[in-house]
Amino acid sequence: MPDKKLRIGIVCPYGWDTPGGVQAHIGDLAEYLISQGHVVSVLAPAIDENSLPPYVVSAGKPIAIPYNGAVARVLFGPIAFSRVRQWIAQGNFDLLHLHEPAIPSLSLLACWAAEGPMVGTFHAAAKRQRAIFAVGPILEPVIEKLAVRIAVSEAARHTLTEHLETDAIVIPNGIFVEKFRKGVKRPEWTGNTLGFMGRFEEPRKGLSVLLDALPVVTRFVPDVRLLVAGPGESADLMKKVDPQLRSRITFLGRLNEKDKADFLSSVSIYVAPNTGGESFGIILAEAMAAGASIVASDITAFASLLGEGKYGTLFKSEDSTDLARTLIDLLRDTQKREEIAAIGQEHSKVFDWDNVAQQIFSVYEMAMVGGEGVRLASDTRSWSRLLNREGEAQ
Amino acid sequence: MTTVVLITGTVLVVLWYLSFSATRLDRLHHRVETSWANLDGLLQRRAAIALEIARSDRADPASSLLLTAAAYQARDASIVNRSHAESGLSGALGLLQNDLTLESKPGEQELLRELSELTNKIRVAIAIHVDAVNRTRAVRQKLIFKVFRLAGRAPLPVTYEFEDDVL
Repeated sequence: MPDKKLRIGIVCPYGWDTPGGVQAHIGDLAEYLISQGHVVSVLAPAIDENSLPPYVVSAGKPIAIPYNGAVARVLFGPIAFSRVRQWIAQGNFDLLHLHEPAIPSLSLLACWAAEGPMVGTFHAAAKRQRAIFAVGPILEPVIEKLAVRIAVSEAARHTLTEHLETDAIVIPNGIFVEKFRKGVKRPEWTGNTLGFMGRFEEPRKGLSVLLDALPVVTRFVPDVRLLVAGPGESADLMKKVDPQLRSRITFLGRLNEKDKADFLSSVSIYVAPNTGGESFGIILAEAMAAGASIVASDITAFASLLGEGKYGTLFKSEDSTDLARTLIDLLRDTQKREEIAAIGQEHSKVFDWDNVAQQIFSVYEMAMVGGEGVRLASDTRSWSRLLNREGEAQ
Repeated sequence: MTTVVLITGTVLVVLWYLSFSATRLDRLHHRVETSWANLDGLLQRRAAIALEIARSDRADPASSLLLTAAAYQARDASIVNRSHAESGLSGALGLLQNDLTLESKPGEQELLRELSELTNKIRVAIAIHVDAVNRTRAVRQKLIFKVFRLAGRAPLPVTYEFEDDVL
């Protein structure tokens, strides 16, 4: 990266305390940029201000609202808006990087309040929705202020072009490849094991598809075992499972980063039976880096991440018969399984932060052409003056 | 009394919306100009690198001639012919790059690395510029911008379709 050190402001729309893909992405990116010598400040909603890393500034407590079929912890309102303006006015940033600016939260407020070089990253992928079309005209002039838009996947880009009629550059999410490459094979997790990771209680994660496939797989591969990692009530789930299968399923609970790398390195096949709602599928990139052979449903995000089946094996989404067939084939053919895993591991380098951050940084450079820094937008400045709050805006 | 308040309110809102829209359009015009200046600068740098490669020892006289001609054409092209001329330069560079990557001295490798970095930047710059132009044109089509002549005397930006093989 070039020598010029920048002051970068990043806005996170979701509560920092709740684990999530966007938060993790922002945390990694911020730490990477800081390690390169840039000054980074992240504005995010947070419940507990004291537990935040030094580069995160809290904008207040998030509000839980139902959005897009899930509960989103976001933050908006007049007080949040003035916090955002204050942060922008005091930050003296060269550039703002707003995440999910089309979600009613801090990023949208920041995009409204600021003027100057701004980059937006769109993470979500959604099906065609009337609701998003309806808010399009309101969002349009705001989204338009972003000099460059980044989509994390083709699916996210597609959502963006469809709903907001604007294009984006695709830059994938980043992972620290080395961390997963260093994963150690643990004896208790190796053998004919299938790995599943995620909030298994959510139907869209598709664990039920895998459980339906399991009886058939057991018939052909008698010593197969299923390891389920991730938060959730395992007892509730076990009640629904055929008693004969129960002994084959082990719940590992939530894994820490080190265990996660070991887990992905150890399992014979990592299974991602998600039925939809995925935009990128970072776990697949991590599994690839750890050297796992992957079997995933053929939803758009997974198919494109796995190179249409080059770096992992795809099965027909929600089709447990097809999943069973794919799993049996691979469990019986060790050579093929290892071949695919090796190709995947090689490919996972494109998701490494070294590579991804470099791409994001060159987008920053493009956005900063023109040379001015970030300031409060003139329209909000006059509002402050009208409302006699000039002192605050300074 | 209420009518007066209502009318004043409406007028204020309309005035605010007009000023908001004018700022919005101004920002778009500004982006068209800066993104073009940026793209132009990058393309000029690419032509300069092409000339440097043409003068290096590795290039045989024929490809050197081809490259030099293409680089000068790209530099001198008018805005209408620019895209075509730039694709010509891309083609010439592509031909040569295959030979050069095989066995080249450190200095040349440096040159090639710079070229590939530049190519990535140009790709992003084109996307930004084309988007800015399309946006501006779309916004200027809207009724309110036409009726109140919010564009002032700013010229309508040219849709500058880069050919797909420009890089």
